[in-house]
Amino acid sequence: MPVVKVLTEGIGEFDLRDLAVYRERGGYVQWKRAVTELAPADVADITMKSGLRGRGGAGFPTGRKWSFLPNNGRPRYMVCNCDEAEPGTFKDHMLLEETPHQVLEGILLGTYAIGSQHAFIYIRGEFERGYRIFEQAVADARAAGLLGANVFGSGYSVEVTVQRGAGAYICGEETALINSLEGRRGEPRLKPPFPAVKGLYGEPTVVNNVETLATLPHLLARGAEWFAKVGPERSPGYKIVSVSGHVRKPGNYEVPLGTPLRELLEIAGGPREGRRIVAIQPGGGSSACLFEEHLDLGYDFDTMAANGTMLGSGAIVFFDDSTNFVEAALALVRFYAHESCGQCTPCREGAHWLEVTLERILNGGGLESDIDMLVAVSHQMTGLNLCPLGDSIEPFLASVVKRFESQFRTYVRSAQREAMPV
Amino acid sequence: MRDFAPVAAQIEPIAKRLMAQYPNGNVRSALIPILHEFQNVEGWVSPEALAQTAAWVGEPLSVVESTASFYTLFHRRPVGRYVLQPCRNLSCLINGAGEVMAHFRERLGVGHLQTTEDGLFSYEEAECLAACDRAPCMQVNLQFVYDLTKEKVDEMLAAMRAGTYDVPPLPQTEKPGRDWHVASATEKRSKGAHGVPDPNDPGGLGDASGAGMIERLAKQPYPIEVRPTRERLVADGAARLQSPASTPSEH
Repeated sequence: MPVVKVLTEGIGEFDLRDLAVYRERGGYVQWKRAVTELAPADVADITMKSGLRGRGGAGFPTGRKWSFLPNNGRPRYMVCNCDEAEPGTFKDHMLLEETPHQVLEGILLGTYAIGSQHAFIYIRGEFERGYRIFEQAVADARAAGLLGANVFGSGYSVEVTVQRGAGAYICGEETALINSLEGRRGEPRLKPPFPAVKGLYGEPTVVNNVETLATLPHLLARGAEWFAKVGPERSPGYKIVSVSGHVRKPGNYEVPLGTPLRELLEIAGGPREGRRIVAIQPGGGSSACLFEEHLDLGYDFDTMAANGTMLGSGAIVFFDDSTNFVEAALALVRFYAHESCGQCTPCREGAHWLEVTLERILNGGGLESDIDMLVAVSHQMTGLNLCPLGDSIEPFLASVVKRFESQFRTYVRSAQREAMPV
Repeated sequence: MRDFAPVAAQIEPIAKRLMAQYPNGNVRSALIPILHEFQNVEGWVSPEALAQTAAWVGEPLSVVESTASFYTLFHRRPVGRYVLQPCRNLSCLINGAGEVMAHFRERLGVGHLQTTEDGLFSYEEAECLAACDRAPCMQVNLQFVYDLTKEKVDEMLAAMRAGTYDVPPLPQTEKPGRDWHVASATEKRSKGAHGVPDPNDPGGLGDASGAGMIERLAKQPYPIEVRPTRERLVADGAARLQSPASTPSEH
């Protein structure tokens, strides 16, 4: 089985929250090397060559994202996005609580690479424990001289500010996160300008995911080549995959990208006794479903995209033949209706009315025409919003309505028999 | 009426420290962290806390209100000593969260976003809590509880009532009302102008659930299912005639 341990190495065996333990196991060696021996451009160069793509959902190449920063002499900011809330995803939660120093070392390396001197980490409000753990890690690192003024006598100074959100999925979107970090409502901004040009406090800003940044110490230790040759050429490296749903051993599994879905299912213990997997949501709540005939696809960014879905945040939910997809659709639609910030009418109204419609289908008051309407409305919402939230309903909803239409029809038929005496 | 001055005095040094951690005097960034501090001490974010925060960060009260009202973790009404938040999202739902939530509602006698009569429990069905590997999961005062079962729920509630539960209760400076979320208290819309259907009338024209509309449609002879007539199709053009089943997604 191809489970590998790179970012997850030592988790569950050692108390990696302890700075001494982390350092004994090679922690902060790369940070020291970067600051004392390498130029920021060297770190950025290794990242670019590794082909590392963002682990937060969009899969944008990290090195390229950094390269968009203008050389205008303005202060720059690095923001680590730990607002993990994509349904089905629980990898950053684990990294934050289990290996806070690895995350911190990654943040420091990223901050150095982009030539910034101030980093922020935005931690989801619900991760209260993770927030306390990370604050402690930053305090320990500061006391040990790993951050602050003149790190390792190099003349480079760096500050890290730990911020906790207060419950809003939308703050995972980078411009909403920046607004929240500025003390505003977490509403996404109009783009352009992109954060690389005008971000936090109006200055050039990079927002990177926790897992993306935590990969940096390993890239420096083992070289870009090591990472680039794992998995498919345009989608290289290892990825922590959060597997949940109808499997016997749900959990976070680190695998090379390109691992077939069937193998991931096996790693997670396979389906429950006497059950068969009928659908797979491969990239968090915002991704379209794949089905049993897709189980042999490789799990990487491009293969998923080629099959009409996405790798997203790397969260796979397996559904077996006991699933009520009308209920499942309602759960996700209700989530987006709840989390819509309300700025854009298609998203705010569309999500709300889809929720109402699905509720009435489930409660036995649905019409035959409601089923087409679900697909139509979710499609009409797409592409008309400031951020991707409004576009996130269609993929799952349309794919399950199409595939499991009979389940939806059963609800409305029984409703109509009652409503219309023949 | 409680005395707010000691609370403000207790938080002031923390607030000053928080405000100092942002570059170039961007003190408004401390707004959310300061509100968290008030909630830690009082159990909720009171109007006094909002006003005090506004004074510290040098913003109008409306800005602080606007921010505070955006985030679901800020309780802008007093809440119970235990805020119970089972997850209702996908991975939990398909692993039995539905039964767990029904059990909570039955045992507590309250629904989503409500507080029990004795002021001990506030109940909210939450969205994905990023612990799907141990579904169904929940948070109690933001501390995780995993692998929920009905039995576990009963044990938990009994321990909370007995004061032996290992998550400490929230402070409670004022007795909570039944609806603890501001949103749910304002959900009822105004009656509207003369002649406009009352949106609060269940089954009425303005009923957002659409139930009344469906009932009426079912009783009337006209159409549950609207089929375009041949005449209309012809009028719509020959192209449409050839593929009358053009999908609605073509809009």
